[in-house]
Amino acid sequence: MLFQWGLRKKQPANSATTKEQEQSGQAKDVPNGSLDTIVNVNIDIVQRTTGNSSDIVIRRFTIGEENPIHAAIVFTDGLVDEKIIYNFLLESLMTVNIPSSFSPKDLFLFIEQKLAAVGGVKHVQQWFDVFSSLLSGQTIIFIDGIPTALSASTKGGEYRSIEEPSTQLAIRGPREGFTESLRTNTAMIRRRIKNPNLWLETMKIGEVTQTDVGIMYIKGIANDEIVEEVKKRLRSIHIDSVFESGYIEQLIEDQTFTLFPTTYHTERPDVVAANLVEGRVAVIVDGTPFVLLAPAVFIQFFQAVEDYYARFDIATALRFLRVLIFFISLVAPAVYISATTFHQEMIPTPLVIAIAAQREAVPFPAFVEALIMEVTFEILREAGVRLPRAVGQAVSIVGALVIGQSAVEAGIVSSAMVIIVSITAIASFATPSFAIAISARLIRFLLMFLAAMFGFYGVIIGLLLMTIHLCSLRSFGVPYMSPLAPFIPANAGDTIFRVPTWAFKERPRLINQANIIRQGENQRPQPPDETNNE
Amino acid sequence: MKRKAFFLIVLFMSMTVLSGCWSRKELTDLAFVIAVGLDKTKDGRYMATFQVVNPGNVAGATQRGGGSGGVPITLYKATGDNLVEASRKGSQKISRLIYYAHTNLIVIGEEMAKEGIGPLFDAMERNPQFRTTAIVVIARHRTAEEMLKILTPIDKLPANQMIKTLQFTEKTWGQNISVHVGEVINDLTSEGKEPVISGFRLVGGVQEGERQTNVQESEPDARLSADDLAILKDGKLVGWISGKAARGVLWGLDKIEQTVITIDWKHKQEAIAYKVVRAKTSVSADMKKGKPVVSVHIGAEGDIGEALVPLDFSDPQEIFALEKKIQKEIRQEIIKAIERAQQEKSDIFGFGEALHRSDPQEWKKIKADWNDTYFPQLEVKVSVDASIRRTGLRNKPYMFGR
Repeated sequence: MLFQWGLRKKQPANSATTKEQEQSGQAKDVPNGSLDTIVNVNIDIVQRTTGNSSDIVIRRFTIGEENPIHAAIVFTDGLVDEKIIYNFLLESLMTVNIPSSFSPKDLFLFIEQKLAAVGGVKHVQQWFDVFSSLLSGQTIIFIDGIPTALSASTKGGEYRSIEEPSTQLAIRGPREGFTESLRTNTAMIRRRIKNPNLWLETMKIGEVTQTDVGIMYIKGIANDEIVEEVKKRLRSIHIDSVFESGYIEQLIEDQTFTLFPTTYHTERPDVVAANLVEGRVAVIVDGTPFVLLAPAVFIQFFQAVEDYYARFDIATALRFLRVLIFFISLVAPAVYISATTFHQEMIPTPLVIAIAAQREAVPFPAFVEALIMEVTFEILREAGVRLPRAVGQAVSIVGALVIGQSAVEAGIVSSAMVIIVSITAIASFATPSFAIAISARLIRFLLMFLAAMFGFYGVIIGLLLMTIHLCSLRSFGVPYMSPLAPFIPANAGDTIFRVPTWAFKERPRLINQANIIRQGENQRPQPPDETNNE
Repeated sequence: MKRKAFFLIVLFMSMTVLSGCWSRKELTDLAFVIAVGLDKTKDGRYMATFQVVNPGNVAGATQRGGGSGGVPITLYKATGDNLVEASRKGSQKISRLIYYAHTNLIVIGEEMAKEGIGPLFDAMERNPQFRTTAIVVIARHRTAEEMLKILTPIDKLPANQMIKTLQFTEKTWGQNISVHVGEVINDLTSEGKEPVISGFRLVGGVQEGERQTNVQESEPDARLSADDLAILKDGKLVGWISGKAARGVLWGLDKIEQTVITIDWKHKQEAIAYKVVRAKTSVSADMKKGKPVVSVHIGAEGDIGEALVPLDFSDPQEIFALEKKIQKEIRQEIIKAIERAQQEKSDIFGFGEALHRSDPQEWKKIKADWNDTYFPQLEVKVSVDASIRRTGLRNKPYMFGR
């Protein structure tokens, strides 16, 4: 209510700025309307529109000897595979001999059907389409006398090669991670799901950047309503730029004012493939290795890829551990604060004396002590992420030695507090999803405040509010806490437990309703003699 | 309207925040009372002695500045007409808030115990900070204050030393019993059972014991050790019960876990040691011809721990004879204990409660006179079933081998 009130006031100002942006970014510079018939006019327009940018390569030439027809090809240097252009376009276009009777229209068709030895050739008539294909790596062929250009697919250029993902590592499992190229990414998913029902729809988002965004889903498994909802939300985005899937994520998520992520992002193609098969929708954004998956549920952030590759007993044990880890990273400092300032009777006598002895010399209340250490740690972590690698090591030395040891020796913090902060830090690093670890980071501070004011009572109130909030969240209409709340017994096997693979009978019910059966009957392996008897 | 709602919300939110830190108390503001001693002054007032932990000096708690010079505990005394008054008055002398949540030991001076411990526990039970699991002991021949002054080695906190001594000796030797406040209160209020509390003795002088030098010697001059069991009647200390009879009390209360029974064999005294590893006592009471009859059955299992006479343990006959002897020994222990209790007219075994359970109607008639009339003349049948499970790693003793 508070937030809405604030929003409503700001809204008019917001919409005004977007309108201005639209005018200045798009409509003014790119000429409207269709192409001219004369090549030189068209080239002029291209040059004018791109401001003679040096990476726009324009090559004029003529086709035919007796009755030469003027033509030109235009491409963006660096975005194209030059070999394709030279070998399969330029060479054939410049050396071809055509009968003098050829009209430009005949030539146009002849080029399209015989000469352009590349995969995709499209007709473009609108300037808007010309520029969008030119700037995404297509080669445009203008021919005199025809108000249509050919756009040949010559995408190429330098990309980062496929490397091991740097965020979600696994000991067992595929090593490749997504790259910045949309096409490479979709190919990696296709390689895993060789099924014609894996559909890919692309659209351009970003009025200025014209970023390619792909929506991938398996027709027949994904819930059509959710696919439609994703598309609807994507279509309604009007923003000047998209540089990372985070832009999209923030514009399509169900609720902004929540500390929890309601879409899942991953760098691993195997995760995306597995989620597509479960019926989720993937949103792939060109220029980032992070692919969005929707809808996301809470428990998904505790599922590491290896859970499904390792045997179920180990996977279940690790799941338990991860939930515990999340809980520790959430409440450890809060519990320390409440136990040492409100509930001293709950600590065993030898321990309370040991902690009291350490705190003898500490001048601050436990809460301030915890806050100092937590903030220091957050500073260290932030520094560690941003600093160049060479300096990073120095930071960790300073952090470990100075903060850890000297702070205790100087009597600013107690060593028990250092232990608490360390275990919290390690726990937050051990959370499989960074998105949820970072939510825990924020909630931890809230819980610390509550603990400092009300002790365990406050911590419990905080956790209750968090649970209520979690239960109220939706991700593309799917309850965030499902299949725990609402409880769906058929899907409960993949929550804090991970049942054996043969027991995964159904896909998540709330995510897809059409096609829930996942595997055949009797998938449980049997010893050979028993099967022989049957 | 919206502005109003906004302010209302802010006001409501600050309401919760403003009440914050209500019962906040920092660790450095607390005086952890680890043991409380209770004595009577000459003018009949209560004197409470607080053994307060000095956290910085408890060795092992911290390396930094720990253990050097200082003593791990400090005593504070306060007198008052009742315990709460004495406790609050103590704040005049202690720089921190007196905090009872970690009080694990109550020491009652012998004089105080003789006058009656009945009213002592009300304040402890009523105070939410206080734990009713705090162990109660009685200072033999001494005041509680003197007992609490003694510094102890190994377990630096004297209270811990006493509690752990009591618990482990109960477990392995079985002549002492650790009772906590809750049990004492139960026994005090029960009509068919009287409390029995372990005594603690101070060996050596208080002067030596209260100094740091006491713990710097390999054999401290002043030491605390668990002693006889105190028999109470109507909340007053009436007598002590010691040695094998004290173990008999534990047999009767089904508190024996492990112990050692030594028996004579063929004219050699204390020749064989029998280690009890499991024991179970069941008590049943009945009215027979208008008289209460109690039967106690003890089942014990154990090993041979030591044999100083020639004996062939591979011979079942020998084992049976040995078992008989052991049974007789255990039986004597408990009969001694019962006789002692009957002498003091105090039903420390809870036979009255057993009767209450089996025959509530009759119990109602006799409960008023139970301790003074019926219990001293009670007929108690004791049967013991002891069995030797193992003989250790040898059959024949090596001294008499071949």
